[in-house]
Amino acid sequence: MNLDIARTGGGTATVTGGPQKAPPASAPPPGPAPEAGGLVPALQRRLGRGKSIPFGRLLGPLLIIATWWAASAAGWLDPRKLSSPTSVLYSAQDLWTSGRLQDSVQTSLSRALLGLLIGVAAGVVLALASGLSRIGDAFVDGTLQVKRSIPNLALLPLLILWLGIGETMKVVVIALGVLVSVYINTHAALVSIDARYVELAEAQGLSRWQFLRKVVLPAALPGFFTGLRLAVTAAWLGLIVVEQINATSGIGYMMFQAQQYAQSGIILVGLVLYGTFGFASDALVRLVEGRVLSWRRTITA
Amino acid sequence: MASNHHRLSGAPVAEAVDSAAVRITDLTRSFGDRRVLDHIDLTIARGEFTALLGRSGSGKSTLLRAVAGLDHGTVGSGEILVPERVSLVFQDSRLLPWSKILDNVVLGLPGKDARGRGRAALDEVSLAKRESAWPHELSGGEQQRAALARSLVSEPELLLADEPFGSLDALTRIRMHRLLRRLYETHRPAVLLVTHDVDEAVILADRVLVLDDGDFVQDLRIDLPAERDPGDPGFQHYRTTLLGALGVLPAHRTKEQS
Repeated sequence: MNLDIARTGGGTATVTGGPQKAPPASAPPPGPAPEAGGLVPALQRRLGRGKSIPFGRLLGPLLIIATWWAASAAGWLDPRKLSSPTSVLYSAQDLWTSGRLQDSVQTSLSRALLGLLIGVAAGVVLALASGLSRIGDAFVDGTLQVKRSIPNLALLPLLILWLGIGETMKVVVIALGVLVSVYINTHAALVSIDARYVELAEAQGLSRWQFLRKVVLPAALPGFFTGLRLAVTAAWLGLIVVEQINATSGIGYMMFQAQQYAQSGIILVGLVLYGTFGFASDALVRLVEGRVLSWRRTITA
Repeated sequence: MASNHHRLSGAPVAEAVDSAAVRITDLTRSFGDRRVLDHIDLTIARGEFTALLGRSGSGKSTLLRAVAGLDHGTVGSGEILVPERVSLVFQDSRLLPWSKILDNVVLGLPGKDARGRGRAALDEVSLAKRESAWPHELSGGEQQRAALARSLVSEPELLLADEPFGSLDALTRIRMHRLLRRLYETHRPAVLLVTHDVDEAVILADRVLVLDDGDFVQDLRIDLPAERDPGDPGFQHYRTTLLGALGVLPAHRTKEQS
């Protein structure tokens, strides 16, 4: 939009081409408000958020790292409490050479991924069951709403009692958190489908299956993705919780051991890993969401 | 529950060949204590373009929804016979925002050549080039043209339209009138067009019904050439008659009478 729009007091508008720049020579000088009927230079007004900054979401984290680096280099930080970024990198290098880093990451990632997959699948199945049938709604929805109000941490003692402290318990805890996020959002989207589209499907004579495939599922997809993004966060949260409990492998265990030997560098390696995985997985879900919901992109842009 | 909706062909009640596209007998619909349709009878011939006029709350939309079979949950009695293939055009274009235009047009259309037929229908409404656009990329008029293509692609014997041009601007509406009339001449479905616009009814229809308080108060044949001119005295005559039936006389008439 490169238009200078000059409004006159009478309300008519003239449009002239050319980029917006200093007020034209004929306009009154800035300063006291012009008297009624006088002309003022037209302002291009914008109250929206404007264009997005490329990779803008990385700026905050990078600023924190830069500050940390500078503070360490200036000697303001006690290395026993908070190691410098350089020594964190060295710690990571040592862990890599010994193979512990790869092992821990692999263990943690497979726990999170398995829990995520099981949780998403269960959440979607339950949401479909309760969103598409009244009987399903009667049985499933109330139960899930109750589960929603009980934090996973409160279930932990029972789960340990039932499943022990092995991998099964860890994956189940992660999956439970994931399930609730996916269920709540997908179910909400399924039951709030615009009645106008239901009417259209009836008028077009769609079969139940066609109605599901062409109307219900696409309409519920945005809700599913909202749930999925929350679910990914829930998966990392669950992972961190279960890895603090009697773990013998994984990033959490690596950090726990480092705490015993006061190796703050390794603790920070763990934190950076958690943060990076969380950030990257959210970015990945956003990317997939943008591709799948491309029909929405042009609306929101 | 009103469960008196039948298809004309195939239904045991109907004769093998029926000259009617719609046959309504003793139809009643109520919302609570209010009787919206009061023992209505109506026959629309095959290929007849009928407009249904009425004030808001006159029951015209209720009648259309009953014919379309969309009034499940309302209380009523009577019999409605309709043909095998019925299409409905809504006031809003009601395109699925997550489906491209062509997919919207062929929604629910059976057959292997569905997409080919969809393309032909889009061509008829001059939207052939927009088949892979998203609905929101189209203007209001284009969206309603796509909706028209969707309703005509199944070659309906009866086309129902619920104020289809109500949300369009005046200029687009004039173009849409011409387009609808042209499509009607080509495909010759029976049409039941619900509108509150007297001019629209006289421009488009060959027969105009006025519904008031649950029953028909006017059933008028429009005997004008296909190309209609609102400035024509014949047009004015129909206009005045219909406005009278709707209880709104033109200003100069009211003065003369008082």
